[in-house]
Amino acid sequence: MQQLELLKHTDKVNELLARYGVKFGIYKNNVFKEQLFPFDSIPRIIEHDEFSFLEKGLKQRVMALNIFLRDIYSRKQIVKDGIVPEDFIYASSGYMAECEGVYPPRGIYSHISGIDLVKGKDGGWYILEDNLRVPSGASYPMIARDLCRRSSPDTFHSHRLEENRNYADLLRRTMDYVNPGGHTVILTPGRYNAAYFEHSYLAEKTGAHLVTGSELVVEKDMLYYISSNGTKERVGAVYRRISDEYLDPMNFNPESLIGIPHIYEVFRKGNVALLNAPGNGVADDKGIYYFVPKMIRYYLGEEPILSNAPTYLPFYEEDMKYVLAHFDSLVLKDVAEAGGYGVVFGSTMTKQQKQDFINLLQKEPRRFIAQEVIDFQDLDIVDNGEIVPRKADLRAFVLTAEEPMVWKSGLTRFSRNPDSFIVNSSQGGGFKDTWVLYQ
Amino acid sequence: MAVLHFEYRMEIGYEQCVHRCCFTIKCIPRENARQHLLGAELSVLPEVGYCMGEDSFGNRQIYGCETEPHDRFVFQATGDVEILRTDYEEAEDPMTGVYRIPHGKCIPGPGLLAYYQSCGLPENRDPHETCVAWMHRLHQDFAYVPGVTQVQTGAEEAWGMGKGVCQDYAHIYVTLLRMAGIPARYVCGMIVGEGASHAWVEALCGGRWVAFDPTNDCLVSDCHIKLGHGRDAADCAINRGLMWNGGAQRQKIAVQVEKRDKGE
Repeated sequence: MQQLELLKHTDKVNELLARYGVKFGIYKNNVFKEQLFPFDSIPRIIEHDEFSFLEKGLKQRVMALNIFLRDIYSRKQIVKDGIVPEDFIYASSGYMAECEGVYPPRGIYSHISGIDLVKGKDGGWYILEDNLRVPSGASYPMIARDLCRRSSPDTFHSHRLEENRNYADLLRRTMDYVNPGGHTVILTPGRYNAAYFEHSYLAEKTGAHLVTGSELVVEKDMLYYISSNGTKERVGAVYRRISDEYLDPMNFNPESLIGIPHIYEVFRKGNVALLNAPGNGVADDKGIYYFVPKMIRYYLGEEPILSNAPTYLPFYEEDMKYVLAHFDSLVLKDVAEAGGYGVVFGSTMTKQQKQDFINLLQKEPRRFIAQEVIDFQDLDIVDNGEIVPRKADLRAFVLTAEEPMVWKSGLTRFSRNPDSFIVNSSQGGGFKDTWVLYQ
Repeated sequence: MAVLHFEYRMEIGYEQCVHRCCFTIKCIPRENARQHLLGAELSVLPEVGYCMGEDSFGNRQIYGCETEPHDRFVFQATGDVEILRTDYEEAEDPMTGVYRIPHGKCIPGPGLLAYYQSCGLPENRDPHETCVAWMHRLHQDFAYVPGVTQVQTGAEEAWGMGKGVCQDYAHIYVTLLRMAGIPARYVCGMIVGEGASHAWVEALCGGRWVAFDPTNDCLVSDCHIKLGHGRDAADCAINRGLMWNGGAQRQKIAVQVEKRDKGE
């Protein structure tokens, strides 16, 4: 295995990542802490045919999700036709009434989608969740590949490896496609954000300006960038790395200091593209996840290519019965939580915890989903010089311009703890590069 | 049928100079089968260019940003509205589902849940009858006392105090109707003979949005001009502002609505 040659360079690559500031910031007990995002140099390798299959499935899924968002914020045909119950739309914390009747440039809502998958021991891939708001992580495999190539150039000559540098081009194309005129900027909340490294890295690679809210101003339904020498230039596309509620204090959270007053009115009038569009949370809600295969059939008239993990909605009486009867073998997720929080395994609860949880579940059935625990494949990592298996997932990036495009790489995250199934970076795991091979 | 003439004036005085202020004002009557705007004039002081548009609830809004230092902000709207019907039929609002769900200031807590249950109003009645029954009950059980509640007060909190103003009546009424399974919208508007803005509620009864005024325990008549609606008061607030500096502020609002003879 020639890629093992890479292992020798792990420490050096991690050292460089630290020097470049590739960190992950998290809030814990109200204290902001930056930590390194440990890189493991054994790549996840996906063969050409297998990736082609994933690619087809991911395109199909993102296409349906975009149609769903367009439908929900306008005619709501899928609700009228009884495919998705109204409750799951309006009670979702991601649904925003402020987005009703607003048509984003070219009708695209989710320009950059991060779809999390795992590979089961049965060899099949399962979708774990869709991230359609502000999915982060593409910069990690980009820079890691770059550093590995520098430390071990031979490794990259001897493999049929798809290039992953083109992420910046895909992103640029995606931003340009919806830009009605003017500059393209990346809007960051600032350096105390968990993904600040990524914001600056993507700005550099795409040639977009990196800006904070105070550098943008709205005048007469247009958005402008105020440069350091005071000139005002029109902005047509904002890849915003701040969440919906902080985007515009005049329309959303009035306390927001990082947003731009009235930017949402500029968007409403079609004079600026926001990537991703506000309101996307209604489509990546854990409760809506259950309905994605139904959406694919409904909107596209096709069978879903990629499967969901088997999921139950206690909201339906029949599913509630199943959940109560098989409680110990299921994982339960609070639909309002993200980042690996609000996830509990039936098998690890004490009797009292279980009873309390079941009481809560019966009181608020809409709040939870239950899933079969997928026995997913381990990937090898190097831990203190030893090769050991760890649970890992894959975040695939799908960028939508004229059509959805799948980046031939992705972020592979693994859990640090040998018994943990939770691989979120906010829970302290590490990452790998993802190699896609060509034929 | 009637023609109503309205004047709305809001003046905000600041203790210190404001360097910059962004505003969104929703004070131009929306049009529907019930009311028709015959004409309106607007003015903003200090003079500034502003934009017009509609929010996602279909409310008209004007918005802009004052960048000249000022210590006084005045907004004025005057116009005439023709009232065509006293309650109104409308094609179904595509957002109807939104108005079924507890939201913002209209989320029941233990107090309202207990009240709802204690009243024991029969369920599955005709929605219109249910609305009327709840309106009478609420009017009886909640006292009109100004100065107790504030703009930020929600339904549950106001209910706990037992008294409040039209906004509180409307928030509580909306909350109760939604608990009864009836979609309900909070309405902001103006009425003849009151010096401030008014609030009432529209409920979906058999495919029609019918307007109830729980503060006055009556159906909305030809004395009401609707400005906007939403899930709660915040969605159709007449004024939303954001200023840099300014210190303490005094706000003066004057509203006048009077009937005009038709053809005048």
